[in-house]
Amino acid sequence: MSTVAIPARQRTNVAGNVWAFVRHHVLALYAALFFLYLLLPIGVVVVFSFNQPVGKFNYTWHKFTFDNWRYWNGVPGIQGAIVLSLEIAALASLIATGLGTMIALALVRYGFRGRGLTNLLIFLPLSTPEIVMGASLLTLFLNLNFVFGFWTILIAHVMFCISFAVVSVKARLIGFDRHLEEAAMDLGANEWVTFRKVTLPLIAPAILAALLLCFAVSVDDFVVTYFNSGSEVTFPLFVWGAARIGAPPQVNVIGSAIFIIAVGAMLLNVFIQTRRSKGAVAV
Amino acid sequence: MTQSQFTRQELLRRGLAGSALLTVPGLLAACGSGGSKAAVTTTGGKQQMAKTLHFSNWTLYIDVNNKTKAHPSLQEFQQKYGTHVDYVEDINDNASYFGKIQGALSRGQSIDRDIVVLTDNDRYLSLMIKKGWAEKLDKAAIPNIKNLVPVQRHPTFDPNREYSLPWQSGMTGIAYNDKLTTPVLSVTDLLENPKLKGKITCLNSMGDALTLVMLANGDDPSKVTDKSFNAAFTRIKKAVDSKQIRQFTGNDYAPSLAKGDLAAAMSWSGDIAQIGNSHIHWNVPKDGGALWTDNMIIPKGGNVYTASVYMNYVYDPAVMGLMEAGDPKKNITGIYYIPPVIGAKEAALKLNPSVANNQLIFPSAKTLSQVHLFDSNALNNQKYLTQWQNLISA
Amino acid sequence: MKWFHRHRGLMPYVLLAPGLAWLAVFFIVPLGFLAYQSLQSGNIDFGYAFTWAWGNYGTAFTDYRSEFVRSIEYAGIATLLALALSYPVAYWIAFRGGRWKNLLLLMIVAPFFVTYLIRTLAWETILSDNGLVVRTLQHLHLVSPGGHVLATGTAVVAGITYNFLPFMALPLYVSLEQIDHRLIEAAEDLYASSWKAFLRVTVPLSLPGVVAGTLLTFIPAAGDFINAQLLGAPQNHMIGNVIQSKFLELTDYPAAAAMSFILMGAIIIAVAAYARAVGTEQLSGTAV
Repeated sequence: MSTVAIPARQRTNVAGNVWAFVRHHVLALYAALFFLYLLLPIGVVVVFSFNQPVGKFNYTWHKFTFDNWRYWNGVPGIQGAIVLSLEIAALASLIATGLGTMIALALVRYGFRGRGLTNLLIFLPLSTPEIVMGASLLTLFLNLNFVFGFWTILIAHVMFCISFAVVSVKARLIGFDRHLEEAAMDLGANEWVTFRKVTLPLIAPAILAALLLCFAVSVDDFVVTYFNSGSEVTFPLFVWGAARIGAPPQVNVIGSAIFIIAVGAMLLNVFIQTRRSKGAVAV
Repeated sequence: MTQSQFTRQELLRRGLAGSALLTVPGLLAACGSGGSKAAVTTTGGKQQMAKTLHFSNWTLYIDVNNKTKAHPSLQEFQQKYGTHVDYVEDINDNASYFGKIQGALSRGQSIDRDIVVLTDNDRYLSLMIKKGWAEKLDKAAIPNIKNLVPVQRHPTFDPNREYSLPWQSGMTGIAYNDKLTTPVLSVTDLLENPKLKGKITCLNSMGDALTLVMLANGDDPSKVTDKSFNAAFTRIKKAVDSKQIRQFTGNDYAPSLAKGDLAAAMSWSGDIAQIGNSHIHWNVPKDGGALWTDNMIIPKGGNVYTASVYMNYVYDPAVMGLMEAGDPKKNITGIYYIPPVIGAKEAALKLNPSVANNQLIFPSAKTLSQVHLFDSNALNNQKYLTQWQNLISA
Repeated sequence: MKWFHRHRGLMPYVLLAPGLAWLAVFFIVPLGFLAYQSLQSGNIDFGYAFTWAWGNYGTAFTDYRSEFVRSIEYAGIATLLALALSYPVAYWIAFRGGRWKNLLLLMIVAPFFVTYLIRTLAWETILSDNGLVVRTLQHLHLVSPGGHVLATGTAVVAGITYNFLPFMALPLYVSLEQIDHRLIEAAEDLYASSWKAFLRVTVPLSLPGVVAGTLLTFIPAAGDFINAQLLGAPQNHMIGNVIQSKFLELTDYPAAAAMSFILMGAIIIAVAAYARAVGTEQLSGTAV
């Protein structure tokens, strides 16, 4: 028990406090710059969606106009492309999340032979270059005489979304408190009822996160879709084709719209969860 | 994500409504061979027009109403024949488009297209015909074929015009931005003027690029030898290594030219007219330029009758005149390339005199003498092709 | 229900079957076809034949070695940049985010919702020769006057870095968030300065996130071709561009297939080394 140690620690604390204060603000400033950098291209996209370009190319600011938003589907093909993308994304994320949740449950809850292999199989699509996945899938479809179009695109999208779903749900399941399920079963519920009434609601945020992640990945996919779309045109494919000659402002409009809707949905989700956790009993 | 209390009802309401869309029949539909979306050709008896004509084309290659973005010639076709034209501008490069469709075609599957447009100074057009992946035209349905300009009637890849008909021709030359450079009028200037370093692009099409450079070398592009190929190739490679050439492009040089990132570009005649920037000028190079023609063909599985009727419609001088020149009074922009139809100029004169008198769109005999075709045998030479691809994409 | 009780041991397999079957059919089998194709020879005019053409691999490697190397180089630099840029932010959100954590995470992921191509094209606009950014860089003498940023390796790397930032930031955040703060307090109680505590406690504990983020960024970056095509010059083309041109433009499928496998092989070796170090559980427990 020495009295020397205490003043030393106090001195360190003062300096430490100042340092921590400075560092705290530096970090915040840095984070602000980081987000600015992240959102810079998005800002450009949104701003130029209101541009009325001179000639065909939307690269220099000319005049402000709402026309692009009003006639968002004025460019032939753009409406079909975005509708197709949204349809595929919705279906693919549902299927992939379903399959992925089951795999995640198996991985976390059960012991079985072939865990390592399963983990590797889940990880491989995440680590395969898109061009390899796209081209090899093309070869498969050709050899099986599949007709290219909506279904080949959907199959491809489900394939690379499964891994995202597994990863997302698994992270949640690992931290899951089994006692709740045990309690339910002690009270007479069988496995299926327990699953429906206890497990599923509690992993719902993870499932939702998986859905959102899969949706984002699917709506954005270009390379794999390019190889397997036949003559269907999804929105990224449309952008690629249009960009060659100067993408019309409507492309910016749709890009901005997706961004705004996505952010809005997430904000809503966060808002609702905050409201709920204020009044709810934490589990 | 924070914990939250979700009741079963909320979960159902929120996320799972769409799962009913999952159908097994749909997956089964994906299997099986054939099954073309383009209507099946009726043989013999009364020919019927399909409900939809699937037409794949290059970008900015048809008349367009600037306000509504619709295509007047296609709308009129629908009014006249009742067939809706599903017009997709998904071709911006012969090679990648062919690469996408060849898989299905090589297995005898249809690609759900009735008409596609490919260029004659790339090997894919002749390849499609040679491999039997193109349907024969229904010439009985194309009486207007008599309006085809004489010079296009017997091309080497389709001597009797049984599989293809020209859509538009164009010339390859040099465009420059007068705000950024003095006039660039020769290939030598383009590739070797140090003031243009890093501010020019070359076309990624072997036929186009080599024609221009061979002419600048004094060689004949319609009879390519190893010696003339190597001379031209080396010259271009030098410009790549010295970073004179910024990028190899398809028609994506246009945005960069418009933006001012490029001072000059090897480019196609019609694109420049469409940029609408008065500072950008296009010229046939001093030593000569290239002439190429985009052709319509019917890929295997396409509806021959409907496609042929469409081709006939397009070969009507009045229609071609409108497509070509547009109509400034109705805010319609035309194609601004070189039409293959006799009488189109006269029709265009009535709608848009300035276009009708534009050398780029209706070139005089003198201008036409300055542009040359590329040797189609060289286009199929795998050695040349591999060397070229290595240069432009590696 | 009784069936399940009696066949309890089968449960995991029942759960795994549909998903794994999908992956097996639509991921593994295609790779098998690709392998088969990589050993073929021939061309589009006369068809392809299976000839055990191992030479395809050799040729692919020797002919395009510079592109392979360049891809690793660009992907590597981009990954390091992404790590350097994301770590402070991930740290800030995990440790100081408080109740705004989710919102901030959302702001990292949100740009991801705008199509990849549109984002990259926006960079083409931002970095155009006469744009504000390039002119500022010219003033600062970081770019030579009259020079350009587009069509250079810098633009390509910048594009790759930007496009994969969320892949790096999110795993970093996850592992940083899970760190038990009591460990840091303990370190500080033991007289460590907060900087030392950071270095000795936080950083090592965040290593799984670092490795996960690195893998999730590096791997797709190495195979990317869009940034190189839109933002680069021919000298900046990556192996992805070559594979693309072989597949689509030269229709030289055997060569393209061989090249794809070489790329994949290099990646699998890296993954195997990682799996050996941290165990395969980490593989599927990474990312979100």
